[in-house]
Amino acid sequence: MNRNRLALLLAFAGGSLLAPGLSYGQTAAPTPFDKLPDWTGVWSMTGGTVFDTATQTGKGGSVTPGVREHPPYTAEYEKKYMAHLALRDVERYPDVISNCGVPVGFPRILNLPDAYEFVVRPDIFYIVAENGPNTMRVYTDGRKLPAKEDTWGTYTGVSVGHWEGDTLVWETIGLKGDRDNDSILDRTGLVLSDAARITTRMRKTSPETLEAKMVIEDSKALTKPWTVTKQFKKNKPGLFVYDYGCAENQRNPVDTATGKTLVLGADGKPVN
Amino acid sequence: MKFKLAFGALAALIASVSIQPALAHHSGAGFSTETIQISGVVKEFQFKNPHSWIQVNVTDATGKTVEWSVEWGSPNQLGREGYRPSTFPPGAKVTLKIHPLSAGGPVGGFVAAKMADGKTIGKWDGD
Repeated sequence: MNRNRLALLLAFAGGSLLAPGLSYGQTAAPTPFDKLPDWTGVWSMTGGTVFDTATQTGKGGSVTPGVREHPPYTAEYEKKYMAHLALRDVERYPDVISNCGVPVGFPRILNLPDAYEFVVRPDIFYIVAENGPNTMRVYTDGRKLPAKEDTWGTYTGVSVGHWEGDTLVWETIGLKGDRDNDSILDRTGLVLSDAARITTRMRKTSPETLEAKMVIEDSKALTKPWTVTKQFKKNKPGLFVYDYGCAENQRNPVDTATGKTLVLGADGKPVN
Repeated sequence: MKFKLAFGALAALIASVSIQPALAHHSGAGFSTETIQISGVVKEFQFKNPHSWIQVNVTDATGKTVEWSVEWGSPNQLGREGYRPSTFPPGAKVTLKIHPLSAGGPVGGFVAAKMADGKTIGKWDGD
């Protein structure tokens, strides 16, 4: 081997080791387009946006007024949640997304009003939520999840998935949780910690309905896995999805001194 | 402060079920579950995100006019349901059913509307 060829080989090998995306290994071939399910269209979540009443349907679930599906919190997180609820009851627990600029994160991104698009590709799955707007990526190109120490806590974390027939299965880690008090699951103040690990199984349950079943594990916040299911209904064909400028006409800013969500009247001044 | 409130058969305060699109942007902003009616003239329909607002000038018996702000859903969702910026044109006479702000003030959450020609928007009947 001459010196030029050796230098080229070494350069290629070094580049491969340093290349982003390959460091975690791309071991499995992505599922080709023609083997993927059709999730096209405009979708809407069904049910309310208060997370813990949506964990079940039927008796004891969201259709039974006054019945809550409480997360199995540890004592520490139960205390936090009770404090959040107490603040909410006196209208002093603001929804962090009222600040217009903070992503809703995961799993709340599957808990929004307005429209959804679920973009299925061989290498990646996108959740595109009109509300916010918010986007989440699930890599399905065969890579593995990074080590915990290679994540630093983001709103939607890091997600890697694969297809089991028509079911997309993905794992999410690297969530920031309640570290900065700016990531909640719903406006009652449900939170997770930065130790959360969520396994989601998403599939069509009929031609017009999708289901996302999440098993949430959190060694800091939960005493056992908490299963939450969100469902989505396909809208009629031909609808448009629009941009969503949260700050365009923001008339509900948060008073940072009190935590109160204000309502701005016609003169731009708070009326509450 | 007195406002011209157009009360229904059992007066203005009637428990109702709102049909407004979900307002996930904030925590309800303190709207009452009660329903009242206000009548006035549309000043402006703010068909903008995150929520639309109907600005209505309401004149009371003494001739004093107060501008009410009525919050509705996101224009994106309302647009998909067939509503447009022209749904509430400036100058149009309208009667609105709203959930008033618990803290008081000329603000409410949209329930339904009836235009001068009798056309209704939202769940006008049944409240």
